[in-house]
Amino acid sequence: MQAVILAAGEGTRLRPLTHAKPKAMIPVANRPVIEHVIDALLVNGIRDIVVVVGYRREYVQRYLNSLETPVTVVVQEKQLGTAHALRCAAPEIRDDFIVLPGDNYIDAASIAKIKGEPCAMLVKEHPKPSNFGVVAVRDGMVTGIVEKPEEAATHTVSTGIISLPRDTIGNLAKNEIPDALMGLIRKGLRMKAIPAEDWQSAIYPWDLLVMNESLLQHIAPEKAGRLAGTVAFSGVINVGHGTRIGPNVTITGPVVIGEDCDIAPGTCILPGTSIGSRVTIEPFTVIGRSIVMDDTSIGSHSRVLDSVIGEGCALGDHASTTRSPSLLSIEGQVQKAEFGAVLGDRVSSAPFTAFRTCIVGNGVTIREGRTITQVLPDNTLVM
Amino acid sequence: MCGIVGYAGRRRAAPLIIEGLRRLEYRGYDSFGVATLGPHVAVLKQCGRIPAELPGARSMDGTLGIGHTRWATHGAPSDANAHPHTDCSGKIAVVHNGIIENYASLRKALEKKGHTFRSETDTEVIAHVIEDRYKGDLLAAVRESLPSLEGSYAILVVAEGDERIIAARNASPLVLGLGDGETLAASDMTPLLEYTERVIFPEDGDVISITPQGAEISRDGQPVERPVELVNWCVDDVKKGGFEHFMLKEIYEQPRVFYETVRTANPGPLVDLLRQTPELTIVACGTSYHAGLIGKYLIEEVAGIPVRVDHASEFRYSVPPVRNPVLAITQSGETADTLWAIRAAKARNCPTVAMTNVVGSSVTRLAEASIYTRAGPEVGVAATKSFTGQLAAFMALADRLRPGALGTSIAACHLAMGDLLQQDVQEAVGILRRARSIFFVGRGPFYPVALEGALKMKEISYIHAEGYAAGELKHGPFALLTPDTPAVAICLPGPTYKVMISNIKEIKARGAPVIGIGRAGDQELADVVDLLVTIPGEDQWVWILTASVLLQLLAYYTAKSLETDIDKPRNLAKSVTVE
Repeated sequence: MQAVILAAGEGTRLRPLTHAKPKAMIPVANRPVIEHVIDALLVNGIRDIVVVVGYRREYVQRYLNSLETPVTVVVQEKQLGTAHALRCAAPEIRDDFIVLPGDNYIDAASIAKIKGEPCAMLVKEHPKPSNFGVVAVRDGMVTGIVEKPEEAATHTVSTGIISLPRDTIGNLAKNEIPDALMGLIRKGLRMKAIPAEDWQSAIYPWDLLVMNESLLQHIAPEKAGRLAGTVAFSGVINVGHGTRIGPNVTITGPVVIGEDCDIAPGTCILPGTSIGSRVTIEPFTVIGRSIVMDDTSIGSHSRVLDSVIGEGCALGDHASTTRSPSLLSIEGQVQKAEFGAVLGDRVSSAPFTAFRTCIVGNGVTIREGRTITQVLPDNTLVM
Repeated sequence: MCGIVGYAGRRRAAPLIIEGLRRLEYRGYDSFGVATLGPHVAVLKQCGRIPAELPGARSMDGTLGIGHTRWATHGAPSDANAHPHTDCSGKIAVVHNGIIENYASLRKALEKKGHTFRSETDTEVIAHVIEDRYKGDLLAAVRESLPSLEGSYAILVVAEGDERIIAARNASPLVLGLGDGETLAASDMTPLLEYTERVIFPEDGDVISITPQGAEISRDGQPVERPVELVNWCVDDVKKGGFEHFMLKEIYEQPRVFYETVRTANPGPLVDLLRQTPELTIVACGTSYHAGLIGKYLIEEVAGIPVRVDHASEFRYSVPPVRNPVLAITQSGETADTLWAIRAAKARNCPTVAMTNVVGSSVTRLAEASIYTRAGPEVGVAATKSFTGQLAAFMALADRLRPGALGTSIAACHLAMGDLLQQDVQEAVGILRRARSIFFVGRGPFYPVALEGALKMKEISYIHAEGYAAGELKHGPFALLTPDTPAVAICLPGPTYKVMISNIKEIKARGAPVIGIGRAGDQELADVVDLLVTIPGEDQWVWILTASVLLQLLAYYTAKSLETDIDKPRNLAKSVTVE
């Protein structure tokens, strides 16, 4: 059995985090989502993997090249939809195959349930079904799929993970997979609905925090790097090579910290936190339930909770994030959310900046300590 | 340059050797050949590129063999001149990388003895010299033959009825790979990576007997031990990985190359030398020479140490009266001109240091200390990531010479390069691809950046391009400016900014279109140029890196729109192992 991973889409609702990389490359528990997907396939002995790339494809290819497992790369020049992406992979399809979105987490147990099935779909009950394709199931068979309905008839949604016989690839019309499947089902294709085990999808940036917490449950303990004798540990901690952790740092797992970081004395890192590589945390800062990406520095006496901080940000001292229930306008739609802050890449903020449930675009510079709320577009200068 | 591959093991040798030769393709070649040892020595060789299917190789089923890619020096590219070469009986086959200088006199002497020659090459004499001394022991015959050969060589020899390969090396590259029940030999590591990470670098004068069980090395008849080294390159580094060209893949690897090199380069020994004698001479060729020029600006400004930079090919013959440390820069570590320059420096008792990308390469054995760049194997003939690695090593050196002087620039470089790689350069390419000739101009450290930009452009797009110090343009080249000769001007804030703006106005006044490379939001520059391409960064050390990457992208996409052979430009070879 082959696998086709779709990683060509940008994921516009996850902006600003998808400025430099597609959604599938956003790090969760310090590894891009797509790598978790590839792992789940390898555990099940599926080694013939095709990845469809498109948006910022150089970034994805550079990453795939660094993996130990060789994968076949196929390019979708224009992002015309998921079924179109799948057709781009057609020349590489030689067997029955599983299609997986590269930007959703799936566990190996779920793959095990579908890998023997020639024609099936993994489905999942979801509390907010209207963000997904809602599936109608009768007698264990898929009878209908409605994409992002205003009002969902059931809570059963498609995970986007389907298995198909080899010859169906030539019969996929339309641009989107659900439309294409409905066409085939009307013509008599019988597709089993199989409940997935652990499946996670991030629609909005703050959803990444839930995914991160969940994936951190699976990390392996490791303490590479140089750790001062007075570091207080509890829970599962994974620290990469070359990372220096100063005296009197408290870390409560699950926490993962990448390579060559500098964690200064007196810092406190709380559960559910992923810190990338080459990150600098200055003294007496507290970080919890957050994702901090590569090359970011956070000034002393800061508080970063329930937040996603992009690559190469520089936050001055006394930065703080605050949760407050807010209404945010994303892609023209108002969403209710409650989190600390979501910062794009290369955000730089002056000391004493307060972030309150806000989304800050890439390259935003905040010159004086202000309170930031709502959504700031890329490259805004806050004087 | 020529490449050789040898294999002794348990698998069929022919397909494996041909695959190995493909990995050596980037060295440049015009013909290729394979010989395997079954009951008899079977030889297959032909002129031209290695085809995807080689039906002739199917019948070659020995598990021991040798192969060669030839870059013609003595005798035109032809089937007859391709290696392997055999003796009169066809029982001894030889492949060779290097040049036998006394081949004409050897050939005459052998012809008098009745040997018949079938090619015009210098290599064929090796086969006949060995035949002349062969009495059933190939190792002894090769050992006795070597004293009569003058010049440079890495050779692999097989003979009927002798289940081993005999190798010898003198001033040409040779690496041995120790696998599991199989042993390989090649001109560089790329063909070995698929089979093993344990390698041995033989020294000049070594003779090696290669069997599936391993390699026995001897010198003047006495067995010697050479250390087994582990290489950290992996086979995926030499595959294109979904990129259209190796060059593009390597351009995109540069942010990682930069930070890995900055963190791991060990400039310590050179720093100690410079503390004793605060003067430095840099010798290098091509792109490495440009990196050396940037190193000069960097070290002189940051550490106040005077630096001279010489072309390696000039340094050897001009005999400058230097006593100070000499730094030799070569990506491959095998560049003949640079090796000769470092030998010349040693002859004058100068302390020598190498900066190279290849652990165990010839230059590391000549120099007293080595600084390694962490670019990994570079396959595209046009150097990109090795250049970035060299700049990173220079920044690590400057940072050690005067800690803190570079401030946060070092940490900012790889991020800024990552940002630059998202830049769209198509508008500039639209101007450049129609050009008859392009001028690249800059001042201060951006002058060598301009030189490198021009070199990249001419190497792969075949458009004539020249780099100039912006102030020099009016001393002659102005005569060449026309609307068909666009100029690329690097103009960034700093002491040279005002005068660069005047230079650009002078160029514009002669009718040449100007593409400016500057900071985002620089309205003054935008007003004087036809097209402003912006680069990220906050200070000149970061701009050097981002401007260099931008010029690489310009060259790449210009060449791509002109449909040239980007990874293997005509007439060029990756590491030039002849003078």
